[in-house]
Amino acid sequence: MTLREHLFENLRLELRRGCLTLAVLAQLKQEHYGYTLRKALASRGMEIDESTLYPLLRRLEAQGLLTSEWREEEKRNKRFYRLSSDGEQIFARLLEEWNQINTSITNLL
Amino acid sequence: MELLDRYLQAVKKHLPWRRQDDIIAELRANLEAQLEDKEAELGRPLTQVEGEDWLKQIGSPIQVAARYQRQQYLIGPALFPTYSYILKLVLTWATVIYLIAGVVTIGAQGMGVEALAALSVLRVALRLPWIWLINAAIVTLIFVVIERMSARFPEKFGAFGPLAAHMSGPMTAPWSPIDLPPVGTGDPDWAKPRSFTRALLGVLSGCFFLAYVLLVPHYPFLLFGPGAWYLHSLPYQLAPVWWTFYWWMVAINVFELAWKIVDLARGAWQQPPNRGRHLAMHAFSLIPFGILLAAPEHKLFLLKNPADAAKLGGALAAANNGVLLAFKIVVAIVILQLVWMGIKMGLDAYRKRVAA
Repeated sequence: MTLREHLFENLRLELRRGCLTLAVLAQLKQEHYGYTLRKALASRGMEIDESTLYPLLRRLEAQGLLTSEWREEEKRNKRFYRLSSDGEQIFARLLEEWNQINTSITNLL
Repeated sequence: MELLDRYLQAVKKHLPWRRQDDIIAELRANLEAQLEDKEAELGRPLTQVEGEDWLKQIGSPIQVAARYQRQQYLIGPALFPTYSYILKLVLTWATVIYLIAGVVTIGAQGMGVEALAALSVLRVALRLPWIWLINAAIVTLIFVVIERMSARFPEKFGAFGPLAAHMSGPMTAPWSPIDLPPVGTGDPDWAKPRSFTRALLGVLSGCFFLAYVLLVPHYPFLLFGPGAWYLHSLPYQLAPVWWTFYWWMVAINVFELAWKIVDLARGAWQQPPNRGRHLAMHAFSLIPFGILLAAPEHKLFLLKNPADAAKLGGALAAANNGVLLAFKIVVAIVILQLVWMGIKMGLDAYRKRVAA
């Protein structure tokens, strides 16, 4: 990887990092477990690695933005996540921020 | 799939032990669901090679486990500017204090024995990196503890905690734009030209000071006050080297006064003071002190009557050693000032060149 590509990759990851959290919070208005959440996000164009998504879910839960419960589905125990009430409020504010940024960037371009 | 079991076992080894069973159970459920999807898509189980490729794509066990670790900095970005500021401050002061202590030690040990003094200088220079290392290690350790405490007890030590304000010092202390220094080189005295009155006062004060210095040998009470009569009655006298010191001091003052008069006549006072000239005068002032330090047999004071040597010789030697040591400290401080001024001038010149 050239220096310029490396720089681009770093900037791309930086740009995506905040967006991933927003995308996950948006998708978890409905309950999901890790794998179906990943598929749902991918089907809407937001591909996320397993090694990024699953730890992210844990972090968001530890921050109180998500709630989770273990439940059996298709003969397998799975951990289902959804937005907590705190998570809903934070998500609404983040969404507002996102819309403002999006509008500003659109105006700039 | 046996390969998946092995993979999960390898991930588990690197997970925090309290949460590893829970994390592995969740990861297993997710990866098994993904595997089932893949196999349903293909209509057959994955081959060994396909299984390897799939797990490789997920990432090495260490990398995957690392993502589940709490994000912990040795010194985080919130604390780092304060750490950097304190570290620079501590290293600067440690260097100054160590060098002064080194000069005093050399003065005490190596007096009169040049080879020993040279060895001591080398020893002081070689120890300096260790002084930096030890001080940097202590400061770093303290900040690592603060970082850990702020991560563990964010309400007390966090970025907005009540203790953080005390610990973070000048970086987060309340400030006002009104308190900022005026625009210039950072040292307003060097940025502004002097007024004519100030330049004239500089010449007049130089004249008075030179007159005072010239009168002191004839009227010692001007320097010592009533103590001059007491000193006169002592059995000691100044060594001839003091006359050399005195005339050098006079010469330096005459030179500086002459320069001030020329400046006044040419109107150079309208320009900011010349830092190079100030540095040169500072360096010149070392010459008379160097003469005293190189006094024959390191004797600054002599007995008026050499026959008193048996009785007063010990006290005289102690006085000579003490005063010489004091002058060595003065010279060390002046040299450090010169080095500091030189570094500042060099940095300013470099910044100007880069800006140009």
